[in-house]
Amino acid sequence: MLTTVVGNYPKIPNRPRPPKLRAAISRFERGEIGADELRRVEDEVTLEVIQEQVEAGVDIITDGQIRWEDDQTYLARRMDGFSIDGLIRYFDTNTYYRQPLVEGPVRWREPVLVADYEFAAKQSPVPVKALVTGPYTLAALSANHHYGSLRELVLALAVELRNEVLALERAGARIIQVNEPAILQQKEDFPLLRQALEGMMDGLRAEAHLYTWFGDIRGLYPQILELPFAAIGLDFVKGPANWDVIARQPFTKKLGLGVIDARNTKLEAVEEIVDLVRRASAVVTPDMLYVNPSCGLEYLPREAAQAKLTRMVEGVRRAREVLA
Amino acid sequence: MSGGLLTTSVGSFPKPDYLAQARNEFSLKRISRQELAELERKATAEVIRLQEDVGLDILVHGEMERGDMVAYFAEQLTESMAIGGLVRSYGNRYYRKPIITGKLRWQGPMTVEMWRYAQSLTDKPVKGMLTGPYTMVDWSFDEYYGDRVQAVLDMAAVMHKEAAELDKAGARYIQVDEPAASTRLDEMDLVSQGLSIVTQGLQAKTITHICYGDFARAFQQIVNLPVDQLDIETANSGYDLLELFRRDRFGKELAMGVVDVHNRRIETVEEVVAGIRRGLEVMPPQRLYIDPDCGLKTRTWDEAEAKLRVMVQAVRQVRRELGMD
Repeated sequence: MLTTVVGNYPKIPNRPRPPKLRAAISRFERGEIGADELRRVEDEVTLEVIQEQVEAGVDIITDGQIRWEDDQTYLARRMDGFSIDGLIRYFDTNTYYRQPLVEGPVRWREPVLVADYEFAAKQSPVPVKALVTGPYTLAALSANHHYGSLRELVLALAVELRNEVLALERAGARIIQVNEPAILQQKEDFPLLRQALEGMMDGLRAEAHLYTWFGDIRGLYPQILELPFAAIGLDFVKGPANWDVIARQPFTKKLGLGVIDARNTKLEAVEEIVDLVRRASAVVTPDMLYVNPSCGLEYLPREAAQAKLTRMVEGVRRAREVLA
Repeated sequence: MSGGLLTTSVGSFPKPDYLAQARNEFSLKRISRQELAELERKATAEVIRLQEDVGLDILVHGEMERGDMVAYFAEQLTESMAIGGLVRSYGNRYYRKPIITGKLRWQGPMTVEMWRYAQSLTDKPVKGMLTGPYTMVDWSFDEYYGDRVQAVLDMAAVMHKEAAELDKAGARYIQVDEPAASTRLDEMDLVSQGLSIVTQGLQAKTITHICYGDFARAFQQIVNLPVDQLDIETANSGYDLLELFRRDRFGKELAMGVVDVHNRRIETVEEVVAGIRRGLEVMPPQRLYIDPDCGLKTRTWDEAEAKLRVMVQAVRQVRRELGMD
C-alpha cells in the first residue's frame, strides 16, 4: 500500500512565507524579468513543493504542476492548432481556466513535459510520476472550431499526445498518469475514450495510471477495467457511489483510492482514514492500493495541503499496522 | 422613469487607485480602519456621483468597502467564520477562502451603514447588496457542518436578518447575488430554498444576479427562483440567452446585461440598441431593466464610465423610438 498525490500542489504559501511565484509572474508580465528568471523561480518553487511532499512522507509524488496555469492550456499553448480564449469555470469549482480554442489541425511539436519531469525526478529523493491531461478531457474542455466532431478531435489529440507519453517514457518516467476527469460528466462517450486511450497507450512499458475526479464511475464499470492502464484513480469524496460500484465486481487493477478530501480544509481523523482503507481492502488487496487525495491539492491553501498529506500518511501507516 | 427600460448596474465598481493603495496599506497595518473607512466613503460618493452624472435610474453603492463578495461577510461573522489562506482563482489571481468554523449566526448589521450613507447622497433608489447563502457556503470551506443543506439554510437565516435590516432602513431594492447557483443543477432546489428564506416578507423588490453557469440547462429552475427580478448576463453570449425567454412566458422582471464587463472594448450605441431591441422581443419594457452583464470592478474607471454612457445613450434612443420619453 503506497501513498501518492493526484497532481497539482498550491503554488504560493501564506505569510510569513513570501509568494515568490506570484511575484515573479507579475514581474514577468510587466517585463521586469525575463523567461529565464521566471523559470529559475519555478524551479525553486518546484523544489519547495517536492520537499513538502517528501516531508509529509508521500511515497510517490509529482512536481506539483507548479508551471501549469491549468491542466488544459499548459499543453494546448505548446501544440499547434490551438489559441487560448476567455475564462471558463473548471467543472463545479470556483477556479477558472482559459478555454483552448481548436482553430486548425492539432499537432504535437516537441516535448512539453519532459524537461519538467527530468528536473523533478533528478531532484526528488522519492519516485516522481509524470502527468498528462488525457485527449478526451483536453477536447471536452476546449471549444472545437475546426474538426467536424468531438470524436475527430479526441482521436487526433490521442495520436499527438502519444508522442508526449513516449517522450516521457524515453526520459525514464516509470509511472505515467493520464487524467480524464471529463469522462465522468459525459459517460456515453466511453467508447470514444476507450478507442483514444487504446491507441495512445499502445505498447507503453511504463506503469500507466488513469485518474478521474469530481464524480463516480457508475455506468463505466467494469468496462473501465479493460482500458490499458495498471491503475485507476477514483474520487470517493465527490463520488461516494464509487464504493458501491467497485464492490459489485472484482477490481482487477490497482486502485487509486481518493479518500482524502482535497477540496475542504477539515482534516480527516487518523481512525477515519484507517476505516476508509479497511473498506477498500475488502475489494482490493492492500498491496494493490495507492492512497491519495480526492483530486489535485490546489483548491486548498498551501499549508492545509501539506497538513492533509501528513495526515494521510499517518492514517496509512496506522492502516498498515491494523491490516497486517 | 416613465414606461420602463430602467437602467441600473449589477453591483461592483472599480476601486480608485487611492483606495486600492489604502486597502493594501491597511492590510500591512500602516493605516487605521478609520482612515480606510473615510476613503471608502469618499470613493462611494464618487461612484454615486458618476451614476447620477451618467443618468442611471437605480443606483448601486459600488462595493468600495468589499474586497471579495464572500469574504466581506465572512469577516464580519466572526463567531462562525474565519478567513483562511490563499487559494488560486485563475492565472496569477488568488483569494482568501473563508472557512465555516461554527454554527452560523447573525451578529449585527453588515451592510446597512454603507447603504444608508450611499442613499443619503442621492434621491434615486440605491440597491441593498447581499451575497446569497448558497454562494456564501459554496465558496467557503466547511469545518463545522459536514452537511451542505444545513449550512445553506443557516446562512439563509443570517442573510434574511440582514435583508430585513436593509428593508427596515428603507431600501427599495434588495439584490441577493448567487453566482455559484448554476454550478450544480442538482442543487438548484437548495439555491431556491435559501433565497426564499432570505426574501421572505420583505417590502423591497428583490433581485438575484446569476452568472457563469449552464443557464440553458438550469433555465426552468432559474426562472422560478423566489425573487421579483432576475438579472442575467446577455451581451457576452451575443444575446442568445434571450431566446430561452421567447419559448417560455416569464412573468417576473428581467434585467439584461448589454455591455460585456470582461472586455475592454467599448460597445457601440448601435450594438446596444440592437441588444435592447432583442430584449423587447421577449419582454415588455415595463418589466425589462437594462444593465451591464456583471459587476464593473474588473474594468478601469474610464472603461466603466464609457460603457455606462453608451448604455444610457442606447436606452434613450430606444425610449425615443418607442415614444416613451
